[in-house]
Amino acid sequence: MSVELFGASLNPWVDAAIRLQLVVGFMTVVVMGLIYAERKILARFHQRVGPQKTGPRGLLQSVADAVKLVGKEDLRPAAADPWTFELAPYFVFIPIFLGFVIVPWVQGWNVRLLELGILYFVAISSVSIVGWVMAGWGSDNRYAIIGALRAAAQGISYELPLVLALLSAAMLAGSLQLDKIVEFQSAVPLIVWQPLGFFIFFVAALAELNRTPFDIPVGESEIVGGPFVEYSGIRWSMFFLAEYAGMLIMAFVGSSVFLGGYSWPFGEDFGLPLQVLLAAGKGGLFIFLIFWVRASVPRLRIDQLMGYSWKILLPFSFLQILINGFVLVYGLPHIILLITGVLSLGLLFWVTEGIVQRPLKSRRRRARPIAIQEAEVS
Amino acid sequence: MVEVLSQTSDQSAEFETQDLLLNVGPQHPSTHGVFRMVMTVDGEVVRDVIPYIGYLHRGAEKLCETMDFRQGIGFMDRTEYLAAFNAELSYVMAVEALADLEVPERAQWIRMILCELNRLSSHFMFLGAFGVDTGVFGTPFIYAWREREALIDLFEEVSGDRMMYAYFRPGGVAWDVPVNFVDRVREVLISATQGINDFDSLLSENEIFLARTQGVGSISATRAIALGMSGPSLRASGVDMDIRRDEPYLKYDQIDWDVITGEHGDVFDRYYCRVLEMRESIKIVKQCLEHLAPGPILPEKLPRMLRTPPGEVYLRTEAPRGEYGVYMVSKGGNRPYRCKVRSSCLSNLQALQELTIGEYVADAIVILGSIDIVLSEVDR
Amino acid sequence: MTTEPAEEQFTNQIGDHDDIWSIVDNALLGIGVTRETGFMDVIVSVENDEIVQASRALRDDEDSKFDYLRSLTAVDNTADGMEVVYHLYSTTKKHNVTVKVFLSNESLRLPTVTDVWPAANWLEREVAEMFGIKFLGHPDPRNLLMPEEIDDTFPLRKDHPLAEIEVLQGEGMGYSGEEL
Repeated sequence: MSVELFGASLNPWVDAAIRLQLVVGFMTVVVMGLIYAERKILARFHQRVGPQKTGPRGLLQSVADAVKLVGKEDLRPAAADPWTFELAPYFVFIPIFLGFVIVPWVQGWNVRLLELGILYFVAISSVSIVGWVMAGWGSDNRYAIIGALRAAAQGISYELPLVLALLSAAMLAGSLQLDKIVEFQSAVPLIVWQPLGFFIFFVAALAELNRTPFDIPVGESEIVGGPFVEYSGIRWSMFFLAEYAGMLIMAFVGSSVFLGGYSWPFGEDFGLPLQVLLAAGKGGLFIFLIFWVRASVPRLRIDQLMGYSWKILLPFSFLQILINGFVLVYGLPHIILLITGVLSLGLLFWVTEGIVQRPLKSRRRRARPIAIQEAEVS
Repeated sequence: MVEVLSQTSDQSAEFETQDLLLNVGPQHPSTHGVFRMVMTVDGEVVRDVIPYIGYLHRGAEKLCETMDFRQGIGFMDRTEYLAAFNAELSYVMAVEALADLEVPERAQWIRMILCELNRLSSHFMFLGAFGVDTGVFGTPFIYAWREREALIDLFEEVSGDRMMYAYFRPGGVAWDVPVNFVDRVREVLISATQGINDFDSLLSENEIFLARTQGVGSISATRAIALGMSGPSLRASGVDMDIRRDEPYLKYDQIDWDVITGEHGDVFDRYYCRVLEMRESIKIVKQCLEHLAPGPILPEKLPRMLRTPPGEVYLRTEAPRGEYGVYMVSKGGNRPYRCKVRSSCLSNLQALQELTIGEYVADAIVILGSIDIVLSEVDR
Repeated sequence: MTTEPAEEQFTNQIGDHDDIWSIVDNALLGIGVTRETGFMDVIVSVENDEIVQASRALRDDEDSKFDYLRSLTAVDNTADGMEVVYHLYSTTKKHNVTVKVFLSNESLRLPTVTDVWPAANWLEREVAEMFGIKFLGHPDPRNLLMPEEIDDTFPLRKDHPLAEIEVLQGEGMGYSGEEL
């Protein structure tokens, strides 16, 4: 039994080992690039320069960080539970790695294209919540336990809209296999037919990744890092790496499902360089959006976060599935999907705005110079 | 085991939950200095808060008693380091009241300009730190520091120092302002206006920010007065009290400006009152610049060693965070017999317990940020 | 104790003294007071045991309505005892009064006014730890600024040494009595 890899036939074990090495190497390098990119992009948002001293234009900043983190002492609090504390980073790190298995980077470049790819991805990515809870529990720190419980609550709540949004896309594509979904989008990317689904996916992805405005489990200004507060050195950097790796994989899954991955609507036959460019561009756009959100919005509160998931996102993702079902069962033209998608997205914004906007307007009227108030009274 | 079961046979005791003691500070990114509060939390809800202060107590009041009147100015800077001009003002005005010194016109206008600009820089600091408290990653902080930097550069040109100015003197100011002062102030005002607009679009209109701040940590007007809150934190509850207008000092009675009040007394009102107050400050400074005319900056006959007749005065001014009062007792001689600093932050901080109980843990941080404390002023 | 008469230059700031005197006198009817005029505000001195009664009267009286406690502090007059000073303000009537209570060194205790103005809570705690004045009935008599275990030294009293600085200025001794 042998497997083809880059044209050479190999023993499956050797093949698996090589593929894993490639994934780990690729991921580490890309994640370091991502960290650098985030620092530079956020710096632009802040009107700063960002890293600039380490290497040309600060390019080696991530390397310097990595060296520093590896060199740091790996501390464990005396009261911590040794096994839970030390194993927690692996429980966060490994599921993220396993998620890489199903991502179709470009045509023919992947580890394994599972038939139930999306299901596998969703199932494996929620395992890392266990790692968060272990980190929080094992640290014997109150900030950590609060953060861990927040992470668990948030992860479970946002798993549902995420799954449903992916499911609605899979309904149209007729497959759970990611490369099939990409192929389906060779004419029109799914975001056109599923704007609501994409929005729900993006928000839920932010929450799954614990990125602003859903960085409640980490809550730097409240619970000082949440489950990671007691970690240092290499273990902390594993959490850090997992966060960015998770972002990378989420971006590529998102771009495969909704933006068409490595395909584009102007012709079927295109070369590898263009595919790489397209895949990187779409994934990069997704990641840039995440950075952008981080630079501009405050953090939600835990009750608002849960409310938003259960009261707004979940009903709307069911609505999307319902619409898709109607269209597919009765064989209606896809343009109906676009119209209903835009309308329901508008409805979602309107509902969300209505909750917040009304007090704002009345407040605007009230908070004003006292002299005007007095003039109005008299 | 049987005993345990029989003890918990009562229905209510079966699922007993325990409140968690959560210690916040003195080393915590959001306590704005060395402040500690011990929160009793029930899940995410705060049941009780016990604040602990005093980590920065340096005995400024005692030190003032051993220094002559002019040396005390430096200690006032160090109590309220984000609005040091305002702190100095209370002190030097107390000395002037005791020593019966007449302050020349020009010095009064200069003082007023600098105090209002200092209010701007202090509120910018608040906006930035508050943005970070609500969870924006750095952006408001950097924006605020950009504006504050311009103001502080101006203060440095005037006084030679960026934080501890020691520029006001009993009787006037230490030296005259630079020749290009008026132009520089106008420049800074333009950038500050732009900065306030930035904040309005970055935070004041952000839905998540509104959801986080509106209706959180509100306090009624009566309660706020009873607890001795002052400044924007008090006015946000709808109390129309501003020392600048009620008991005008310097030249505030010759200026056309408004006192900003809120209505709900919640976090958003405390924030937005400050934003509007900054616009008023800009208005005040612009008018002050019109009045600034050449003239002496110190009284003609100023003794080398300042001595005051016996007496006492409680002199209060409206600092950015509220009423900054200096209660000075003199028994004759060249140093105060007693110099008590009435700290606005101390009194505002007293309300923290009432504001926080019943809110979420995340809100506790935002509420603490909204009353804008400077720990060195709290502890003195 | 201050005996200086009012300074004319500040009278325009606080309005006519007679007004405020009649208001305060009315409110404090039946309470023994000593009148005095300070530089900015008028000062009334009341007896130790009548302070709560006087505060309530000043706060609740229709004309005075001193609902805002600006500041509460004490002054150590060494041999003449200590005085506790209350600076009051009315947020509605916009007038000020200073209330003083004189304490002899033998009995440094007086009733708390936290029931009248909750703002007095921390201020009284500070005065208590700094001057060693006991506020009877205070709801939370812990130290405020100083470490909780320190309860025998009162830094703002005049007899508390301020070693280095006084030595540098050539008019005092260090903590242990020897020059540094």
